This record gives sequence, structure tokens and C-alpha cells, in this order.
Amino acid sequence: MSDTLLKLRYRYWPDHLLGEILSKRWTETAIPVFVLIVVALVFSRAIPGFLAPASLGDTARQFGEIGFVTFGMALVILVGGIDLSVGSMFALTNFCALFCLNILNWPVPLVIVATLVAGALLGAVNGILIGYLRLRAFITTLITLIIYRALYDILILEHSNQIAAAFPDTPLWNFMGGGDVFGVPSDALLYAALAIFGHIFLTRLRPGWHISAIGGSRRSAYNSGIPVRSVIARCYVASGVLTAIGALFFAARLGTVGGDIGTGLEVTVLTAAILGGISLGGGKGSVVKAMVGTLIVLLITNGLTTLSAPGGVTRMVLATILVLAAVIDIRWLKNRHRIISKVYVSPTYHGMPALPSTAADSGTPFAQNDRLRRATAIGVGRIEAPEDVILDRNDYLYAGSRQGDIIRFFPPDYERMEVYAHIGGSPLGMAFDRKDNLYVCVGGMGLYRITPDRHVEKATDETNRSLTSVTDDSRLRLADDLDIADDGRIFFSEATVRYEMHEWPVDGLEARGNGRIICYDPATKTTHTALKGLKFPNGICIAKNGQSLFFAETWGCTVKRYWFAGPKKGQVETVLDNLPGYPDNINLASDGNYWLAMVGMRCPALDLAWRMPGFRRRMAKRLPVDEWLFPNINTGCVIKFDDEGRVLDSLWDLGGVNHPMITSMREHRGHLYLGGILNNRIGRYALPDADPTFVQYDVRWGKQH
Amino acid sequence: MLARITDRLLGRGEAAVTVPPFDGALKPNQHLEDAAVFAELPDLEDLASDGRELFAAQRTQILRLTGGPPTMHARFDQPITAFCLLADGGMAVALGGRRVEIVGGAGDGYVCEAANGVPFNAINALAATAAGTVLATDGSRTQPYANWCHDLMLRGRSGRVIALDPGRGQPRELARGLAYAFGACQSAEGDIWVCESWRHRLVTVEREAAGKAVLDALPVYPSRLAPATGGGFWLTAFTARTQLVEFVLRETAYRRRMMKEIEPQYWIAPKLSSGHTFLEPMQGAHIKTMGILKPWAPPVSYGLVIRLAADGSPLYSLHSRTGGRNHGVVAAVECAGHLYVLTKGNERILRLPIAEIEAELNQ
Repeated sequence: MSDTLLKLRYRYWPDHLLGEILSKRWTETAIPVFVLIVVALVFSRAIPGFLAPASLGDTARQFGEIGFVTFGMALVILVGGIDLSVGSMFALTNFCALFCLNILNWPVPLVIVATLVAGALLGAVNGILIGYLRLRAFITTLITLIIYRALYDILILEHSNQIAAAFPDTPLWNFMGGGDVFGVPSDALLYAALAIFGHIFLTRLRPGWHISAIGGSRRSAYNSGIPVRSVIARCYVASGVLTAIGALFFAARLGTVGGDIGTGLEVTVLTAAILGGISLGGGKGSVVKAMVGTLIVLLITNGLTTLSAPGGVTRMVLATILVLAAVIDIRWLKNRHRIISKVYVSPTYHGMPALPSTAADSGTPFAQNDRLRRATAIGVGRIEAPEDVILDRNDYLYAGSRQGDIIRFFPPDYERMEVYAHIGGSPLGMAFDRKDNLYVCVGGMGLYRITPDRHVEKATDETNRSLTSVTDDSRLRLADDLDIADDGRIFFSEATVRYEMHEWPVDGLEARGNGRIICYDPATKTTHTALKGLKFPNGICIAKNGQSLFFAETWGCTVKRYWFAGPKKGQVETVLDNLPGYPDNINLASDGNYWLAMVGMRCPALDLAWRMPGFRRRMAKRLPVDEWLFPNINTGCVIKFDDEGRVLDSLWDLGGVNHPMITSMREHRGHLYLGGILNNRIGRYALPDADPTFVQYDVRWGKQH
Repeated sequence: MLARITDRLLGRGEAAVTVPPFDGALKPNQHLEDAAVFAELPDLEDLASDGRELFAAQRTQILRLTGGPPTMHARFDQPITAFCLLADGGMAVALGGRRVEIVGGAGDGYVCEAANGVPFNAINALAATAAGTVLATDGSRTQPYANWCHDLMLRGRSGRVIALDPGRGQPRELARGLAYAFGACQSAEGDIWVCESWRHRLVTVEREAAGKAVLDALPVYPSRLAPATGGGFWLTAFTARTQLVEFVLRETAYRRRMMKEIEPQYWIAPKLSSGHTFLEPMQGAHIKTMGILKPWAPPVSYGLVIRLAADGSPLYSLHSRTGGRNHGVVAAVECAGHLYVLTKGNERILRLPIAEIEAELNQ
């Protein structure tokens, strides 16, 4: 009863999504957005009309002005620095705009250019000092803050009366100060445009990536050839220009040069940036984060002002928020991957029928024997991790290795070997096509092809992204085994989409259907996912009828048949169920049946643990991987089955003396060749009553009968 | 209460599954694995020696092993679970775990089946003291001698130490409520030391309970003790701890279902020997890679003898590590300059020259 409940709970509750969602970068933006919503709700309840259109329009106008400055600050923080002088720069550029307009009576476009140039120059001072002379950002901008403020104080002493006396009346200047388009303030429009550009700039353009790279690790960025100094300097210049834009709109709106303009602006802007989630450590941040942070700060400031809180209180609140946000930022950055690794692994219920007996006296086809003890070893200690083996019509023996090579052994004694081709990754399943191209599934890379003249070509490394998955599953992580249909389409298995190849034990611990079968069509060079949600799909073999394929689900302990053509197209049938071990590769036998490798055998303790997901989840958290309860892959066997799913025979090497695990086998001219992904040898076993002329892929392509 | 809940949630404190490393005097070697095989006999349970001759308990009989092929020394009507030699030439024998008899010597004919009104259940070790009493450890009040693993998995804590006083008085219960008592001895100062296996320690007996620890936080489950020449003792450990077993011991639901649904030999539990079938649970580090099983992989079964100084501090140790065969050491006795080790896991008696090994270890 409780088992049924458990089964239903794990079938319908998607535990695995939490970890996947948390590992998305955008979840870091989600928290500030949540804070923003809370702040908006709280103030709209406390203040009537807080979120009314008129009030919003007003907020939006201020939002634009501060928003530009926050962009500048965000950029500087992103590159690994800080700019405390923005408040003074804001005041100076505000003065510059009004001086040019009111006293020099320049036309507005010229005023805009002059102000932007002034901002750029002010920023350039910071940029040169910090970028090129490598002064500390904090100290440098603190000094420029004081110098610029002093300069501003001197300037307004002389000119404030003149500026206050003039009343320029030009349409463009008025539009900047108070105009709107369909209720959207002028500066908010420019802000939106700049935000879109900024987002594209930071996420899609090379200079944007350079900025993040420098902020993330200045030394690595330098070693990668990024012009670190000039990029940093330019960020400060940009900060100056963006501040100048904000000051222009401010000048157009108010037209004053009061003594307190821009004081404390750096704290407001810094709070906005940090609150939005732009990391003080540099390298992490986005335009959206800057926007959200600015909005929060603005809503709080406006809300408190409306509630007629004294200015001191507002600043105190902002400073408290700044401290809190900085603490959360640091703790989160430090612990993010730990939290994700704790919640990412999400075991599920996996119940199987009672374990069938394999005892030597059980009378079943699985009865243990030690026939494989007679297998001789090829390449002992010279080949490492031959997951699959294959032979061509000239009796050459090919096998993958963990060094990413395809090794070729020479007949007749298979003593001599050479590197046939180097692909990289972990070569796994292999198959010859009609034109003698050797197709190889490479763990970590995808599907590759070696032409008869030894050229390595990529066939495919991505498939269609599923619409319902949280993580991007278009890239191939663990292409495992393949076979080729009569029309040339290649069907291959991808064992898991949630883990990398070396993390296969974690996938076994989850026992979730994380794998899929993918089809690549060389004629159209297209790839699509044929079947999803399989429990570690592994071996693939086209059935004799040419319309279906057999595939093994390793953790499911089943072999199924998938119809990719003919009247049953699209259907999946179970062929072998409740196997006593974990099935791996499947290949043709000379008598028309199929060989199936068992990489390991089931044990009762793990079968029970697979029915208790909570136990496994805690095990994954508390124990190191070396201590985990594992599927036993130290003993394997080879079985033979027919089209109807009857098991005919089994070959064992008990105790795993020569071949501890068997991941693949290939029949060739009266011998069975054995591969194992953790073995340092290939086995060769003489089959007593097999066809001595059988060459699998010549039979497959009708070149031999 | 709250601390216990957070501990369970976060795997801290009581819920931590850490196992101390084999370090210091317990630094691994392969002396036990490489030791010469003295005898290979099935169903051995215990060893004893008077310094000249070696005796072993096999099923219902005591065998004399020195000087030629094994000869029968005594026979009983029940399987022997433990025995020891007495100073006066007699011999104390535990039968079926439920009765202690004395044969020969002054106490000949003495029979004891209960102490403090509670019948014996799993007498697993006997030791003579200088005063002529016999120390007996009764592992569990609920599980019979052979089911020690059940007792561990049920988190048993019903072991006790009993002092038998043949011919002079009633048996006295020296300590009770021990988490599996297995092996006891009298120290040079006259204290009674007892191995509390499930708490991985050697403790003194004080006021009818476990007192201060002589040897604590062992990475193994300790068992019988035997005196060594020159003072001190030989302490055996019948199996080692693993983090997975520690974890399972804290997973009540899993443990209950495992005990109900799975045959004991396939449990996640410490064993006297392992690696016989793929139906046994396998852990990550047990995967043979390139044909090799790492000797530092978690020990499902282990072979270990620790030489203790007179004050109980460990001096050195002899090991048979993961992947080895001489596992499940339940008895080690000294006889004529050699150490004889009974490895119940593979039914062997090993013979190690003590002087040579000490010279080698001291290099």
C-alpha cells in the first residue's frame, strides 16, 4: 500500500526540476524580482494610489534618470571595480548642461554632445587611473568623488545665479524634461532602448563577454588575450557617459544647480546594483538585474517620501538594505553550487519484480557457468576501456579506448596494434555503414564517423531541444551505442541527459528515465529525438525484419523493441523483462539470434534501495560516491535471445577473473569478442558451433549470405 | 530534541556516518594476508594456548594442534562457542553459547547456565583471571551466538560480562547493557577490560556498566583478547566498519525491510568474508578497474590483529585488507614465539613469527 503511494508520489511529483531550475542562471534574477513584487505590494497597500498611472509615470521619469547611472555602476562592478564618483559626476555634468544651455546659449544638440563629452572625460580620469595605472578602484573613485564635488562647489558659487536666472525654452529640451509618448516619459523610452542594447551587448557581443570575463578572473582574461587595461578604462568612461545622460534628463526636468545635487547618489545606485543581484565580486550581472534593483530602490525611496519619512530614515533604510544584499550576495555566491549539488540528485521509485535465480542448479537459461574462463585475452594492459569491439571483413579488430583513440589490432594473432584514428572523448558503441564508414558514439562529444581513409568527421552532436525540459537538452552528453537502418538512418542511444559520462553512478542512483534514443539521417544531415524517458538506454541493434530495433535499458533491466517503420511504426514493446542483470550492448549472432551483454548483475540490497528513494537521496548526501551502494558491475555475462524474447543461452566468467565486466560482444568468424569499459583487455572466445564465415556487417548489408 | 532533529536532517552529531581512518598504530600492512597458513580446518571457533601447546575448538570438539596432525583433546555434546585454559590445568568451555562447563583441574564438573537470574544466551569468549575466576562475555540476550549480525542490525545493547568462580561462589554479573560484549581480559592493574563491539571500543568495567574507554573510536569491530608475552594483549577485530553500514544503521526503515525481505548473507552488513557472489551488495570503490580492486576500498570484511601495550594503547597491527582472503579474525594466541591467528572468514589458522614481524615493523 505504502509502496503504491510512494510510486505515485515519485511518478507525478517532479523532484528533479528543483535542481534543474536552481542551476539556471535566471533564478538569480528571480529573487530580486520577488523582492520587487513584495515591495510594490506593501507600499500599494500602505499608500493609496501608489501604483496609479500618474504616480507610475512620475516614478518612471526618475527611474530613467537613476537607471542610466545604475547602468554605469553595473558595468563598472561587472568589470570588477566600483565607481563612487557617480554622484559628483552627476552634479558636474548637470552643471555642464545648464552652463552650456543657459549661459553659453548653445543649441540643445550641441549641449547634449558637450555634456556627454564632459561625462566621458570625467570617467576617463577614473579609467586611466584604475585601468592603466592600476590604482585601487575604491580609493581612486573616492578621491575623484571629493575632487569633482569640490570643483562643482567652486563652479556653482560663481554661476548658480546666472543659471537660475535663465529660462531656456526649446521644444527638444522641454520634451526631454517633461515630454512623453503615449504616457511614457521621454527618458524612460531612451532607457528602454538602452536596456535592450545593453542586454544584447552584455550577452551576445564580444566586448560584453570581455567585460564579464575580466570581472570573473582578471588574470585568466589577460592570459586569454583580452586587452584588460583598455576594457576597464572604457568601462569607467561608459560609466561617466551614462551618468551624463542621467544628468541631462535631470537638468532638463529641474534646471537647477543646488548644492546637494547628486549627494548620496552613489549609495542609492550601489544599493540598486547589489540589490538587483549584480555581484560585488565582479563578473556576474545583467541589465535586467540593474533594472530590477533600481526599481526596488526607487519604490522604497518614493514610498518612504510619500509616507513623509525624514531623509535620514530613507538613507538608513537604503544602507541597511545594502548591507543585507551584500551579505546575501557573498553567501549565495559561495554556497550556490553546494545547494544545487544537494538538491540536483533526485532519486525516484524504481520497483522491479523479484530477482530471477541464476544459480548453477536453477535450470534456467541464466544458470551460472564458467565457459568464458576459456576466453583468451587480447592486448592485456595495452588497451584501456574498450567499451565496444568491432571487426571488418579483413578480420581487423577495432576498439575504442579511454584516451579517445580507435585502436586497431592486426589479424591473425591480434598481437600488433595501432591507433587507427583519434577522435577524443570516450569512444563507445561502433557500427559500419554500407560504405564501410565506421560510425562511433563518443561519450561527451556525440556521433562521429571515420571514413575508410581514416578521416574523422562529426556526424552530429545535437538534437532538437525538448519543449518541456527545463535544462537545454539539445547537446548530446552521453551517446552510447548505435545501429544503422536499411535506409541509412542511424539510431543511437543517449544514456542520460542529466549527467556527464563519468557521473553514470549518479544516474543509476536516481534510476529515473533520463535517457533517449536519437535518430540521425545522413541523407538530410538532420537529428531528432525518437524516444524519451528511458532508464539508461544502452545497446541498440536493428532487428532482422529491418523495421524495428532492439534497445536495452540498463537500469530498467529490460530489452525493448521500437518500431521505426512498417505498420507498427512508433510502438514500443517489451521483449525481455526482469533480467537478472543490467543489459548493455546487443548484436547479431550468426544463427539469426541476438547476443546481449550484461554489464553487471542485480543484487537484492540495491533492488530494495531502488524501491526506497528517500534512502538513496540521503545516501547521496551523506556518503562519498566511493561508499555508495552500486549496481554490481564486477561480474557480467553474455546471453543469447531470439526475436520472440526467449533467452536461449548464457556464457559466464564467474568471479570476474578475466573479464570482470562485459559491456559488449561481437561475433566474427566463429569467435565471440568481448569488450568491457573498465577492462584492460579484449576477450576472444571460440564458439563451439557457430558459422565460421560470419562477418556481422557483411551479412547486415547483404554482402554475405 | 531540536538538536537531534537538525542532526538527523543535516547528518551531523549522532547522525554522522564518519569512520575513523586506519592511522597511527593501525597503519595498514599485509602481514596477515601474507602470513603462512598453519592449518586449514572447517568450522573453527576459538583458539587457546598454554604457552607450549595450541588448542582449537572445532564444532563439538577441542583439537590439539601442536606436534603432528590435529588430534582430538576433548569432545562435548554441543557446539563449542568459546573456550579457555585455566592455570590449574583445567579448561572452561562454552557450549551452544548457553552453558559454561569446566573440565579438569580443581573446578572439574562445574556447570553454569545463568547469572543474576538471566540464562546465558550467546557466550562468545572466555578468559581466565589471575585470581582463578573465569570471565565470560555474553554477546546478546536476544540473538543466538551465530546471529551476531542480527544483533548489530537490531542495534542490540544487551551484552554482559560475567565472572564465574568455580567451586567458590555464584557467578557475578560485572556489567550489563553493553552493545555486544565480545572478549574480556584482566589488565595488569587488575581492571576488567571488555570489548564492546558495536560501540567500537575496549572499555573498563565499573559499577556493573561500561566505564572509561581503554581504546576508543576504532575503525573496526573488536573481538577476543589474549595476553601477550612481555605484557599487553593481542586484540582481534572480526570485521571493519564502513560508512555505508554506519549509514544503514541509521536508516531504520531500510534496515527493517532488508532484514525482512533479504537473505542475511546479502545484507548491507559487516561480514567475516566477502566477495563470494554478485548478490552481495557492492560499493562504488569496489569496481574492478583495469582488473584491479583497490585495497583501500571500503572493507566489507577485514582481517586485523592489534598488539596492545599493558596500558591498552595500540603498538602495532597486522592486516589483511580489502581484496585479501584472511578475513574475519576472531582469535589470536601466542605460543612459543609465534602468533597463531584464527581467520574464521576463510577457515584458516595462520602462524606469524612475532620477533621477525616486530623487527620489520620497527625498521
